[in-house]
Amino acid sequence: MNDAVPGFEPVSKEDVAHLGTDPVPAGPYYEPAYFELEKAAIFRRTWMQVGHVCEIPEPGSFMVREFECADASILVTRVSDTEVRAFHNVCTHRGTILVEESAGTRSRFSCPYHKWTFANSGELLSAPDFDKFYVDKADCGLAEVAVDICAGLVFINLDPSPEQGLREFLGPIAQKLEGTPMARATAFSEYVYEVQANWKLTYDNFQENYHLRFLHPRSGEMANGPDNPFGYPERYEFFDPHRTQTIWSNPQAQPKPFQLMAFMKVAEFAMRDELDMVTRDYYGVFPNLFVLGTATTHFSQWIMPIAADRTRSVVRLYWIGEDDCASRRFAREFSLATALDIHSEDRAVIEAGHRGLASGALRHIHFQSQEALCRHLFNEVDRRVQAYKAQQQSGGDVA
Amino acid sequence: MSALPEGFEPLEPFVDGWALGSADERMRQRLASAASEREAFFNAGKDLVPAALALLDKKSFDEHDPKEERLMLLMLSMAHVAQAVEIQQDDEPMHAHYARFITITRASADDNP
Repeated sequence: MNDAVPGFEPVSKEDVAHLGTDPVPAGPYYEPAYFELEKAAIFRRTWMQVGHVCEIPEPGSFMVREFECADASILVTRVSDTEVRAFHNVCTHRGTILVEESAGTRSRFSCPYHKWTFANSGELLSAPDFDKFYVDKADCGLAEVAVDICAGLVFINLDPSPEQGLREFLGPIAQKLEGTPMARATAFSEYVYEVQANWKLTYDNFQENYHLRFLHPRSGEMANGPDNPFGYPERYEFFDPHRTQTIWSNPQAQPKPFQLMAFMKVAEFAMRDELDMVTRDYYGVFPNLFVLGTATTHFSQWIMPIAADRTRSVVRLYWIGEDDCASRRFAREFSLATALDIHSEDRAVIEAGHRGLASGALRHIHFQSQEALCRHLFNEVDRRVQAYKAQQQSGGDVA
Repeated sequence: MSALPEGFEPLEPFVDGWALGSADERMRQRLASAASEREAFFNAGKDLVPAALALLDKKSFDEHDPKEERLMLLMLSMAHVAQAVEIQQDDEPMHAHYARFITITRASADDNP
């Protein structure tokens, strides 16, 4: 970049040209037909976060999550200290949704319709007047879903026989996630919002800093500076479908007085928790999760596709231990309020982006080299979609 | 009778409006309040925060009396209102317009399900 001065060296155009340099087709960012292909090619056959282990802390804990992107409702149960299971939240009698609560503690679940009752390990325990049926109870267990845990995050895969295990799928990202506060978390704060926009447009907003100075002139002041006016990252890395960036930090940033006082509290507790104070990495986990791994502003954002034009974002700040004193409680609330301010400012442009594209006005969109992560996400999505289409057209087994 | 521990009298006028029991309520009060209300609260409270936290840190939450509980809730509201007054400044109305679509569903300070 021409206007960068010594002190910050942006990633060069050549460094990321291997991802491609052509314009990207616009259709995948709004077309319902493409979203249906993504469901089949990605969301029904890829490891995806379903929650965190601290949500199911003890034997008997359970959580239910809706995966609109796969038309599925998923029940995750903790059977014992060492065993977590996941099932389709569907009674095996006639398909009724089994559990309506989003979380709780219960070791058995009764269907509201005919009282078929299941253990949290999935077996059918009892069903009224069962000898009138023509099946064995042993064949009526809940439909199991592959589940595994990394860095405290619980992942599921809706493919009945996943191509890869979770660790293999995450590759080198697994170890990086294990180093974040999330991996040791026992509690979290959370906020949720929906946008009228495609999930990739929502995700992409958080994969580039090109917009930062325009949309976050005040809240983003700390993240750019004269050496790096756009606040571009120091580095990008790509690990199969996953990607990382190392966030640049402005050495000359001057926090406001109250903000400085609050940041000092945040930093004090980060150090007390022995967090890694040096790493400033962002981890984009395919398909729909990213984690900012810095010690003092760590959060995860879970981007849940609902429809081609609707997305729910769930943002979490993970904490190690409960609030143990007033200062820690204040520091956590300040971190929550700080993160929320940044997120709220992006909403309008994400929706405006979808509206513009859905008009059909454009055949292509353009990504610059500092939007490399956006291009990488598109490449990884489209590669899977095209492979799925090819399999279907050749009549191959795509189940 | 005072609603807050001794030494925090300047915050008395803000107890009714800002001592709110959940993070979502605290954020919504920030978004719904007038600039003059936010500035009055922030200016009255900003220099009292270190002393308030030092006082509240001396006891566990279970041991806080009702006055101390109110003071804690005011400090948590300060965390929200500081974003508006100190950082967003005159951008706050535009910011508030979009932030209202966000719901805080869980906070470490709240009684969570």
